Amino acid sequence: MRNRLRKTLSHASPLALASALAISAAGMQPALANDKLVELAKDPANWIMTGRDYNARNYSEMDEINKENVKNLHPAWSFSTGLLHGHEGTPLVVDGKMYIHTPFPNTTFAVALDDPGEILWQNKPQQNPTARTVACCDIVNRGLAYWPGDDEMDPLIFRTQLDGNVVAMDAATGETVWMMENADIKVGATLTIAPYVIKDKVLIGSSGAELGVRGYVTAYDVKTGAQVWRAFATGPDEEILLAEDFNEPNPHYGQFNLGTETWEGDAWKIGGGTNWGWYAYDPEEDLFYYGSGNPAPWNETMRPGDNKWTMAIWGRESETGEAKFAYQKTPHDEWDYAGVNVMMLSEQEDKDGNKRKLLTHPDRNGIVYTLDRTNGDLISANKMDDTVNWVKEVQLDTGLPVRDPEFGTRMDHKARDICPSAMGYHNQGHDSYDPERELFMLGINHICMDWEPFMLPYRAGQYFVGATLNMYPGPKGDRQNGLGLGQIKAYNAITGEMAWEKMERFSVWGGTMATAGGLTFYGTLDGFIKARDSDNGDLLWKFKLPSGVVGHPMTYKHDGRQYVAIYYGVGGWPGVGMVFDLQDPTAGLGAVGAFRRLQDFTQMGGGVMVFSLDGEGPYSDPSVGEYPEGDDT
Amino acid sequence: MRLISLGIIAAFSLAAPAFAYDGTNCKAPGNCWEPKPGFPEKVEGSEYDPQHDPAEVSKQGDSLAAMGNRNEWRIWNKKETGEFEYDVKKIPGFEEGKAPPS
Repeated sequence: MRNRLRKTLSHASPLALASALAISAAGMQPALANDKLVELAKDPANWIMTGRDYNARNYSEMDEINKENVKNLHPAWSFSTGLLHGHEGTPLVVDGKMYIHTPFPNTTFAVALDDPGEILWQNKPQQNPTARTVACCDIVNRGLAYWPGDDEMDPLIFRTQLDGNVVAMDAATGETVWMMENADIKVGATLTIAPYVIKDKVLIGSSGAELGVRGYVTAYDVKTGAQVWRAFATGPDEEILLAEDFNEPNPHYGQFNLGTETWEGDAWKIGGGTNWGWYAYDPEEDLFYYGSGNPAPWNETMRPGDNKWTMAIWGRESETGEAKFAYQKTPHDEWDYAGVNVMMLSEQEDKDGNKRKLLTHPDRNGIVYTLDRTNGDLISANKMDDTVNWVKEVQLDTGLPVRDPEFGTRMDHKARDICPSAMGYHNQGHDSYDPERELFMLGINHICMDWEPFMLPYRAGQYFVGATLNMYPGPKGDRQNGLGLGQIKAYNAITGEMAWEKMERFSVWGGTMATAGGLTFYGTLDGFIKARDSDNGDLLWKFKLPSGVVGHPMTYKHDGRQYVAIYYGVGGWPGVGMVFDLQDPTAGLGAVGAFRRLQDFTQMGGGVMVFSLDGEGPYSDPSVGEYPEGDDT
Repeated sequence: MRLISLGIIAAFSLAAPAFAYDGTNCKAPGNCWEPKPGFPEKVEGSEYDPQHDPAEVSKQGDSLAAMGNRNEWRIWNKKETGEFEYDVKKIPGFEEGKAPPS
């Protein structure tokens, strides 16, 4: 324990040390792990969870790299994961180490920031290769979680595996501490989500709605792996874990028994609503937030009803898992607008000047929702782009989307020119919030589609979609040449206005990072990392990476220097055509046609690239990492 | 807030049928789906009945219960031996579906 403390302090920044000393001086000990996580997140040297902190803002207060000098960013070091396919998410940095995750087979690496050329440890699981065949959209994984340890147990790193297992590893050695079964590939369930630590629990979502998997979120004891609670998205209230006062502030969202009454018969048992996106947490409210995904199958005619509680924004208590509120964004989904996207937390004044605790969520359906995260009140719901056409508006008083029947889907009908496509105008990208500018930096898809349903029976472990899709650039893109599939925008959730917006050749799939240096960083599918001026969107810097990007950037400080890091490794849903060599434009659930030009700009790869001003870093001193002279026995 | 919400609920119950499904003609709060023109209220027995096999539909629930049982054995074994063992076949006394000793 003493050694661990010394080691921790030797890597801690002055701010973290000051916090630790203040706690000691006051005679207090952080009582729970999440207290420690909050403290660790206050130190900008760290990036301790996928969204940097519980607010999931992907925002750093560091400004060493800023508008004036970003043009001097150069590679400082890099790391090849040795794997191809989509590298979603971002690495973690804690106390002088970087923890790196990978797509299947989900190898985990740890490197020391002093000398990242030597791998401290790697944990490479042996998985059933069948898992690859039931993953709908490449074999991605979205990241790791860190638990900071306590007097009884050393810090842990958590991983999900495509084969459905959850793994706890010793953060110092990489040794597997426990491994539990969470999802069964034989019934089509996989895991791609990043685990999420709250107090002494680790939360795990679920994947597989394209195979009819009924979604659930599970909390495990970090130390033992024992299941603490599990909450489903559909079915009886006691299995969805609804609190007694569920949706009391907003009863018009619906309250009880709807997890069965809004389905026909037992359809809720194979009704989807998995959650494989991102979480956020408010320690004061003890509520965590996430989105449940699409109902199954995609063919809407086969599942009459509003299909609750798929497609919902959830606020649940971490201790019990009980839901205090849920707001269903797309009742009776007809377009696969899976509602799992990022939830970013902010504190802002509403239009009446009242300071409110907010949650902002750019949804697949093309609407950016902002809720009061204490009670679920709907504050704003605006179109990400004026080309969204399935919905005319969202009524703020009822919460209901007013659908345009012209763009509805149904059996015996091919619906055309629906915007957004099933990929959404926003997908899994983890976006950012700049609190100084009060702007959300949104990486956006600009893709529309034609949709034709077909009937199929449910068979456990087999695809359960029931629709054929053609996808292509939205109205502002170049349909002739298959380009203009993305945008980047800066959104004000209070006014509903975009401060600026720019077109991109392909989707900005991975998300964004904002910094106090006035910069917005993001990666592109065609393999660039870019930095834009957060005030006006001007492009200030870019660098061509070895492969396309589907993850989000992060930043950390080490030895007094700010670094920016990003995964490269094209893949994910937009890359399925490339990574599996598919040609039929309707293959990959329609992605192959939409991204047919991607291969002209990038190819597969996989790794982390790290940048700093002038490329200064651990190897600026060339003796670092060298074999010691005179020790040549 | 409650008064406003009750007003909204009243508005739901008074809503007139929509000409085509636009999602705003609610039977009750949170229950606003309607069949599209020419489509049935229920698909069972209609030409759109997917005729799912109940045995297939129950497989997910069975699988979750079996995984939970195996996990309980793993946790029990760790408590007993101090070592973690994933392969439940190597855990003394393991029997599929049987609870570990209390």
